Amino acid sequence: MGDVMNQDRKPRCSANKLLETNLGRIKLKTPLSVASGTFDLENLEFYDAACLGAFVTKTITKLPKQGNPPPRLYESEAGLINSIGLQNPGLEVFVEERLPEYRAKLSMPLMVSFSGSTIAEFCEILETLEAQEGIAGYEINVSCPNVENEGIAFGVDPNMVYDLTNLLAQRTSRELCVKLSPNVSDIASIAKAAEAAGATSLALINTLWGMAIDPLTGKCRIKKGIGGYSGIGIKPVALALTYKAAQAVEIPIVAMGGIYDWKDALEFFWAGASAIALGTANFVNPLAVPELIMGLAEFLIQHDLSIRDIIGKCE
Amino acid sequence: MTNYYQRAIHSREELSDSFFILWIWDDALGKQCKPGQFFEIRPMARLQNAFSTRAIPKLFKPISIYDNQGGRIGFMIKKVGGGTNALSTLKAGDMLELVGPAGNGFPLVASRKILFVSGGIGYPPLWYLQKELINHNQIYWMHGGNTQSDIFPSDESWTVDGSLGRKGMVTQGVEANLKRLGIDLVYSCGPLPMLAEVSRVTSLHNIEHYTSLEAYMACGIGVCHGCAVPIGTEARWDYLRVCKEGPVFKAEEVRWEML
Repeated sequence: MGDVMNQDRKPRCSANKLLETNLGRIKLKTPLSVASGTFDLENLEFYDAACLGAFVTKTITKLPKQGNPPPRLYESEAGLINSIGLQNPGLEVFVEERLPEYRAKLSMPLMVSFSGSTIAEFCEILETLEAQEGIAGYEINVSCPNVENEGIAFGVDPNMVYDLTNLLAQRTSRELCVKLSPNVSDIASIAKAAEAAGATSLALINTLWGMAIDPLTGKCRIKKGIGGYSGIGIKPVALALTYKAAQAVEIPIVAMGGIYDWKDALEFFWAGASAIALGTANFVNPLAVPELIMGLAEFLIQHDLSIRDIIGKCE
Repeated sequence: MTNYYQRAIHSREELSDSFFILWIWDDALGKQCKPGQFFEIRPMARLQNAFSTRAIPKLFKPISIYDNQGGRIGFMIKKVGGGTNALSTLKAGDMLELVGPAGNGFPLVASRKILFVSGGIGYPPLWYLQKELINHNQIYWMHGGNTQSDIFPSDESWTVDGSLGRKGMVTQGVEANLKRLGIDLVYSCGPLPMLAEVSRVTSLHNIEHYTSLEAYMACGIGVCHGCAVPIGTEARWDYLRVCKEGPVFKAEEVRWEML
């Protein structure tokens, strides 16, 4: 059991130039971020925060959201189905209570994820956040599959993505990352629309629609029937969409979807991602973040490469 | 503080075909634990081996603390699915991954007349609680299960099939015991319909009641909101996390009708 690690030796990540990357307007010390809604300050009890290049909050909305009825989770054969429904305390509580805590405890760039039900609501949230210190950028969630008439209603239509992103881009000089859904017919056109409207980076993918039913009773495993499917099973889909989007745009991409370890991560860099994020992996392996960074650094050193050398260079 | 640990299994006990206990030994960790708290546990899995072992690493399973004395921490587990079946293959010396101690735990009291009501695998957290309360309170414990292999030491046993103790659901005897014993506090843990019924009875008699809920979990540390249950009044409730604000809730605040 030579590789056993535990809290008695809290895993640390030392700075390494090979791991540096850019996400639009912000510089990341490591290429590793976290998928919105799967990670919070609690995770940083498990290891050194320096492993993370950026921190993305759980999506907030203008008003508090109660979220979807339980059961909200089901672990399928190769991944996880969730239907949380963007449960969050709303913009006001976020600004007054959460944000000061993030500012005090985080040293890496903070990205605030938010969503809205109208373009005006998106703009209003952004304007409120613009007045706050300590935010490096925004992740615009137009891709949550678990809420109706919100987010994803915008993310599946290139014209809507353009109009929304354009208005937001006019209102900020911070990093503006648009998070895209895989549940679309042509991701390239949506990626292009976001870029043309002024997005400075893209995040993809959000979860795929997924479902599970108890075969013996016919009862849906998730109360709302269909949820968002994440985890190792969606990796090939995420990789293909990352590749397609990277071919279509110049702006950097933070890729996610079934990345569990450093080898998964490398695939996404080769496919064109400038950074990657862990979501379900954080649940399956509480030390996924430091282990990924250590594995990645070792690979880069051994092959005399840096992250920037391999982005989009798959053959 | 909830943290991530890797610990060797110190010993293992067989209780029946489907129940077993895993023990770990850690003084410092034991001192952090309270009755009603739980750990998310799993057989040690290395992600790097995901493909060579054909096994896709799965989520941890929330298992309440069954016993905690002198650094000896026990998990009494019932084989019910993939996660607990995987745990059932472990033996002394095997490694366990743990995230915890998690959750709020039961309130500890003194000089009360207490009724415990447990069903099946709801038994373990009350065992730990009982050890903390027994010297300062009067406790009467009712435990029920489907059949005799679900029955563990208590003051009153019930089985659905009548194979041990009284025949029927444990909930059938609750109201009579409340009155007979002058109960002023109830702790419960077990299947949801059982807890809802006990809650109905304690509400009727206006008796303080704390119940420990179970839920499917992904993170176990409060970040994913996957284990949320409706808590509050009929007019004003919120989805609270079983792993963080729970697993113990005031029974009257659980919106049972929504579960």
